[in-house]
Amino acid sequence: MTIKQGTDKTRKGLIFNIQKFSLNDGPGIRTVIFFKGCPLRCAWCANPESQRKKTEKMFDEVKNCSTIVGKYKTVSELMKIIMQDKDFYDESNGGVTFSGGEVLFQAPFAIKLAEAIKARGIHLACETTGFAKPEVFNEFYKYMDLVYFDCKQWNPVLHKKGTGGTNELILKNMQTLVASGRKYCIRIPVIPHFNYTNEDAKQFGKLFRKIGVTEVELLPFHQFGLKKYTELGREYELKNVAQLHAEDLLEYQKRLQEAGVKVKINGW
Amino acid sequence: MCTTITADQEVFGQNVGNFGKLTPKMHNYRESILDAKPYVDPERAILTTEAYKKYQDQQVDIIRARVLEHVLENMTIYIEKDTLLAGNQASHNRWAPVFPEYSMNWVIDELDTFEKRSGDVFYITEEAKKELREIAPFWKHNTLEDRGYASFPPQSRLFYDLGLIGADGNITSGDGHIAVDYEHVINNGLVSYEKRIKELMKQLDLTDIKQQKKLYFYQAGLIVINAVRGFAERYADLAEEQAAQTIEKKRKNELREIARILRKVPYQASSTYQEAVQAIWLTHLVLQIESNGHSVSYGRLDQYLDPFYERDIVSGRITAEKATELLTNLCIKTLTINKVRSWAHTEFSAGSPLYQNITIGGQTKDGRDAVNPMSYLILNAIVQAHLPQPNLTVRYHHGLSDHFMRQCVEVIKKGLGMPAFNNDEIIIPSFIKRGIKKEDAYNYSAIGCVETAVPGKWGYRCTGMSFVNFPRTLLIVMNGGKDPESGKQLLPNYGHFTRMKSYAELIASWNKSLREITRQSVIIENSCDLALEQNYPDILCSVLTEDCIGRGKTIKEGGAIYDFISGLQVGIANLADSLAAIKKLVFEEHRITAKQLWQALQDNYQGEGQESIRQMLINEAPKYGNDIDEVDQLIVDAYQPYIDEIAKYKNTRYGRGPIGGFRYAGTSSISANVGQGHSTLATPDGRFARTPLAEGCSPEHALDVDGPTAVFKSVSKLNTKAITGGVLLNQKMSPQILRSAENCEKLVMLLRTFFNRLHGYHVQYNVVARETLVDAQNNPDKHRDLIVRVAGYSAFFVGLSKETQDDIIERTEQTV
Repeated sequence: MTIKQGTDKTRKGLIFNIQKFSLNDGPGIRTVIFFKGCPLRCAWCANPESQRKKTEKMFDEVKNCSTIVGKYKTVSELMKIIMQDKDFYDESNGGVTFSGGEVLFQAPFAIKLAEAIKARGIHLACETTGFAKPEVFNEFYKYMDLVYFDCKQWNPVLHKKGTGGTNELILKNMQTLVASGRKYCIRIPVIPHFNYTNEDAKQFGKLFRKIGVTEVELLPFHQFGLKKYTELGREYELKNVAQLHAEDLLEYQKRLQEAGVKVKINGW
Repeated sequence: MCTTITADQEVFGQNVGNFGKLTPKMHNYRESILDAKPYVDPERAILTTEAYKKYQDQQVDIIRARVLEHVLENMTIYIEKDTLLAGNQASHNRWAPVFPEYSMNWVIDELDTFEKRSGDVFYITEEAKKELREIAPFWKHNTLEDRGYASFPPQSRLFYDLGLIGADGNITSGDGHIAVDYEHVINNGLVSYEKRIKELMKQLDLTDIKQQKKLYFYQAGLIVINAVRGFAERYADLAEEQAAQTIEKKRKNELREIARILRKVPYQASSTYQEAVQAIWLTHLVLQIESNGHSVSYGRLDQYLDPFYERDIVSGRITAEKATELLTNLCIKTLTINKVRSWAHTEFSAGSPLYQNITIGGQTKDGRDAVNPMSYLILNAIVQAHLPQPNLTVRYHHGLSDHFMRQCVEVIKKGLGMPAFNNDEIIIPSFIKRGIKKEDAYNYSAIGCVETAVPGKWGYRCTGMSFVNFPRTLLIVMNGGKDPESGKQLLPNYGHFTRMKSYAELIASWNKSLREITRQSVIIENSCDLALEQNYPDILCSVLTEDCIGRGKTIKEGGAIYDFISGLQVGIANLADSLAAIKKLVFEEHRITAKQLWQALQDNYQGEGQESIRQMLINEAPKYGNDIDEVDQLIVDAYQPYIDEIAKYKNTRYGRGPIGGFRYAGTSSISANVGQGHSTLATPDGRFARTPLAEGCSPEHALDVDGPTAVFKSVSKLNTKAITGGVLLNQKMSPQILRSAENCEKLVMLLRTFFNRLHGYHVQYNVVARETLVDAQNNPDKHRDLIVRVAGYSAFFVGLSKETQDDIIERTEQTV
């Protein structure tokens, strides 16, 4: 693929994975479309190959071979794959989930694809950092039947430190989403040394009450992405940080609940 | 949204995931069976030889009846201290009787190697060896195997001898693959059959030779009914004797009840639940003393047993716990039945399986959901007993409740490889289309593992005829009709692959050649059937199959109401992937020449540069199982000539009474994928020589990279409506995934889509963790009750050969 095609913002999208029968990305049986490219650089990111908005090489030392991550695809190419599992969506009330990377980073293309998906009557969800200009977010989320929205830090300074961006836009978009009455789920990736203190939990609770968030999901930190950093030849700051499990978040959950928020731990 | 099934929701008193525990009595009984070492038991062989000598002047039906009578009168019987049901197959539990009338040559040949097998080991005493050697001369040129060989036309024999068409089971064993009418047996007793025979006997006009022949069948029928009655009486006597010697009051009463029941059933109709279970067990047992054909199945146990259960519950005679205990007792008893096969046949049926199937769920004859309290109790019993036998099948239909489906998923999680699912939504319409009456089609059950028939009305082997090796056939076709291994010209020469110019040319020769192989398989099957009909009628099995008595004919003579059969086509995925690789890489993209590929196959990819050819074949051609139309269509097209051709050939009962009399395709390869893999050189899908083929219709392992929805889509493209003999799909699922209730519900949704919308035929799940299997391979003693799904059935993992174990480990998903 040439870069030229990629720069045509609505004709092709840069996709790094398509996963059918994905189990943790919304109701029913779903196909997840992973958009490549993200404006943030979260230190804990489990999909580092999703960050750069261009194709790149990954090298597997064990298999001694390299693969190219990312492919430019048209709406009709993606729809062909999406439609293969239409029977499964219909039977299970499932559908499609946009994930990333950050889908909002390719909003014009994502909206084209969303239009095609909604035209087939398929349920559509997305997983987003919410990091986008409000006018982009406002147009985009209306296509979504369900939005998984990450909230990584309550503190703007720490947010910038851990992700490379401030949380100002994110909180604004979150407020829009919550006020819209659309179905959503706010998710906190709980990361040691970043947002794992009881004080963090308390502050998150305060923030959510202010915005009107009533339900939150906690995603305990895991190391599934470790190998990928090596394959990409990149440094990984959290290499030696221990994984968290559901039981490690019970206290944290309690603190949040004290603020009147319903909290589910989505871990293992 | 699909409703969430929570643990506190109850149906028929059942909470999801709660199955209860074995009673201490059944726990002890189970332990004693797991401890029992399988021995080769000569007793039945000796008794059978005596009877054959004594009655050799009689008509064949009478001989067969007298043999069964003589065995039942004289065989060792016992009632174990922890059982509530009486009836044993051999002189000890798990001992395998020898059936010399079917085949004796391999028994004698393998006497000294039974204990040295790499899997399915049998022990044997020196005394037993001596006894078997003593009777062997009588059976020289006097067995089914001898007669079968003698009846093979020479050219067909070649296909058999080279292993291209497998029929070892058909020529060294009885038929099996049947479920008799247990519903009738428990509701009316054997006495009802006896009455009917006596009435019909009176009406015979013996000046007509056809009617005179019926007389022999009827006489034989009366002999076996009486023999079963006498057999039950022997147990009644023994139970009374044991009761007299027993001081402990509870056991004394149990033994008295056993005696009372066996004085009554199965000859008389059963009145209580326990009587019914005992009647079923004893009948089921005797069928497997009469013949050693496997896949003798229970049919729809929940349907015919439930009225007895509910009556006893209402009257306060029994509790759910007691009823479940009797079911677990039945399960453990079922496992005591054993069969020793020749080593050649063992490779096709690893794990000494008997494939005794219990089918539950489905619909009633008028199309309502048939799940009843007994369906749930059977699930409980299967989990509690945790054994590879019986083989449990759930009949799926769109109205099956989420609660029952969730309970089934909970059973799957236990790692039994059960239940398997068969789909009413495809099987019933395709039965009706073939001429099966609606109420019978709605009453079908699984037979053995995947295949289906109407219990009590269908002849033997709705599947289980010959095995045809598809990938090896492809190699012969590529080699101009000559078997690359033996150098024998088996098929007409339509040109060598290396000189072919197009994929179309290859497929044209494949089509013609496959039709020829199909014809050869028919000739082999008919030869086996001819010898079986002439010499080995199963009288009891025929009596219990409608309408043998009405017609005065054994099943093999055309006594059954329905008689459709199918063989098994092996290596579907290998053929698909091979064709796709050839088409794309040789003929379309010219990445390798036909010569290079052929040479690589001859060298088993060991030559220079051939590993990279192999990698290209594996990685750069599309693979079956990923919902890729271009490859899925290739296998659909390549399979069709077989489906069309086999439909032309009637079976030996055509026009002699049954509806049908035809053949259709089937893919429940059991473990033949390992056996037939042994005789298959390297294939163009990158598979090495001698390694296992893919099983059933499952994709080749590790090549289905796009998840379970894609597998279901690919499989559903096959011509399932025509492959009525069964479309076997084995799926793996990591136990970790099924830990959350939400994911269990997603599995239910996945199954529902496969069955409701894609009209899948069958699926079964293996959820044992790979690590567990590896550990079991290294520490067999720690895992003696570890069960795995081999293909269409479950088996004890530690009893399998290392090769089969490795195959399963490789197929099992690595958990994160």
